[in-house]
Amino acid sequence: MRIFFDAEVLAAAWPGICSGIGVTLGLALTSIAAGVALGLVLATVRALLRGAPLRPVGGLIAAYADVFRAMPPLVLLVVLYFAAPFAGIELSGFMAAFVALGLVLGASAEEIFWAGITSVNRGQWEAALSTGLSRGEAFRRVVLPQAVRLTIPPLTNRAIATGKNTALASVVAVPEVLNQAASVQAQTASPAPLLLAAGVYVALFLPLVRIGRWLETRFHIR
Amino acid sequence: MSAVLELRGVGKTFAGVPALRDIHLAVGTSELVALIGPSGSGKSTLLRCCNRLTEPDGGEVVFEGSPVPAGGAELASVRRRMGMVFQAFNLYPHLNALENAALAPRRAAGLGQGEAETAAREALERVGLGDRTTAMPDELSGGQQQRVAIARALALRPRILLLDEPTSALDPELVGSVLRVIRSLKEDGVAMLIATHEIAFAREAADRIAFLADGEILECGPPAEILDRPKSERLQSFLSRL
Ligand SMILES: Nc1ncnc2c1ncn2[C@@H]1O[C@H](COP(=O)(O)OP(=O)(O)O)[C@@H](O)[C@H]1O
Ligand SMILES: [Mg+2]
Repeated sequence: MRIFFDAEVLAAAWPGICSGIGVTLGLALTSIAAGVALGLVLATVRALLRGAPLRPVGGLIAAYADVFRAMPPLVLLVVLYFAAPFAGIELSGFMAAFVALGLVLGASAEEIFWAGITSVNRGQWEAALSTGLSRGEAFRRVVLPQAVRLTIPPLTNRAIATGKNTALASVVAVPEVLNQAASVQAQTASPAPLLLAAGVYVALFLPLVRIGRWLETRFHIR
Repeated sequence: MSAVLELRGVGKTFAGVPALRDIHLAVGTSELVALIGPSGSGKSTLLRCCNRLTEPDGGEVVFEGSPVPAGGAELASVRRRMGMVFQAFNLYPHLNALENAALAPRRAAGLGQGEAETAAREALERVGLGDRTTAMPDELSGGQQQRVAIARALALRPRILLLDEPTSALDPELVGSVLRVIRSLKEDGVAMLIATHEIAFAREAADRIAFLADGEILECGPPAEILDRPKSERLQSFLSRL
C-alpha cells in the first residue's frame, strides 16, 4: 500500500500535475470547441447544399467524416507530429494534438449534427419555405434549433471522449497531466504519480459525465 | 373576374407515373375553389405545384398576372403572398403560437420585431386564438394548432390561401372550429384553393368545385352542378361512396 501512496513522491509530483491540469483543460476545451464548430459548419454546408447543383460537396463532407471516424486518434496524432515534418509541416506537440483531436471530433460532430438535421421532419422545411423564408433562414430558425436538441446527448458523449483523449498528447511530449505524472514516475520508479493522475482525470471528467447524463434525460423528448 | 392564381396546363410526373395531367384552373379574387377527389388523385401535388414546393414539369402557374418565378428571392416573395396550410399543421414545435406566426413577417418580410408581433397577434385574434399567444404547439388541441397554422399564413397578408385537407388530421369534434375560421375568411374576401373531403362544407362554402381523378380535372363548376348533377361516371361513383 505504501508504494502506491508514497507521500514524498506524491508531493514531488503534485506541482507538475497541477500545471498539467491547466494544459489538459486548455487542450480539451480548444479541441472540443474546434471540433464542434467544424462539425456544425460542415453539417450546415451539407444541409444547405442538399438538392442544389453543388451536391458533390456533401459527398466530400461525408467522406471526410467517414475517414476520420475510422482513424484512431493516436495514429492521426503521431502521423501529424512525426510524419508531417517530412512534408515541411512542423507542428508543436500541442498543435498536433489540437489538430488531431479537433479533426476526429469534427468528423463525429458532423455525423451527429447531420443525423439531427435529417431527422427533422421534411414538413418543417416545407412550412418555413412556404412562408417565403430563404433556405438559410429556414435552416437557422426552424430546422437547426430542433436538430440541436437531438444532438446534445451524443455530442456531449463525444466531447467527453475528446477530453479524455487529451492524454494521448503525452506521447508527443505535451506536458499535460499524464505526461507530468509519467515523468515523475520515470524519475522515482514509483507508480504513485500515475495513480494520482488517474484520480485527477476522474475528478476532471466525472462532473462532465454527470452533466451529460442530465442533458440526456433533459433533452430526450419527443 | 380577374384571377389571383391560374394554372395553365400544369403537369407532374413522379418516376414515370403521372400525378397531374394538363391542369387548367383559375381562382379569382375572393373566390373559394374546393378540390375534391379520391386519395392519390393529385390534390396535394396540385397545391404544391402552385408555390413550387413540388416543381411542376410542364405548364405554367401564373400568380397575379406573372409566372411564379423558379427560385430565389422572387419565388420567396410570391410564397409570402400565397399562404399554405398543411394537413399535418407543421407548426414549429420549439416556438410558441405568437412566434410561429411572427417568424416569417420578421425574417421573410423583413418587418421589425414589434410590427411582426403585431401582425402575428392580429392573425391569431382572427382565428380566435388571441388568448393563446404564449402556448406551445403541444399544449394546443389539433384544431387550435391548425388555426395557429392558418394564422401563420395570414400574418403575411396573403392574396390567396392554399389549404391541403386542413381538417383531415383532426378529431371529428374539432373539425367545426377550423371550418368556421375558413368560412369567416371567405366572408372577408380571402381567395382560397382548398383540398377537402368535407363535401357538405364544399357545397355550402365553395364558389366552385373541381373534381380530380388520376391527376386530371374531370369536372369543375358550381357546387350544385358538381354534387347534384355529376356527369362523369367517376364522379358519380365517388359521390355515391361518401
Ligand atoms: N414525392 C412524391 N414522390 C413520388 N410520388 C409521389 C410524391 N408525391 C405524390 N406522389 C404520387 O402522386 C400521386 C398523387 O398524390 P397526391 O397529390 O398526394 O394525392 P392526394 O393529395 O389527392 O391524395 C399519388 O399516386 C402519389 O403516390
Ligand atoms: Mg393529399
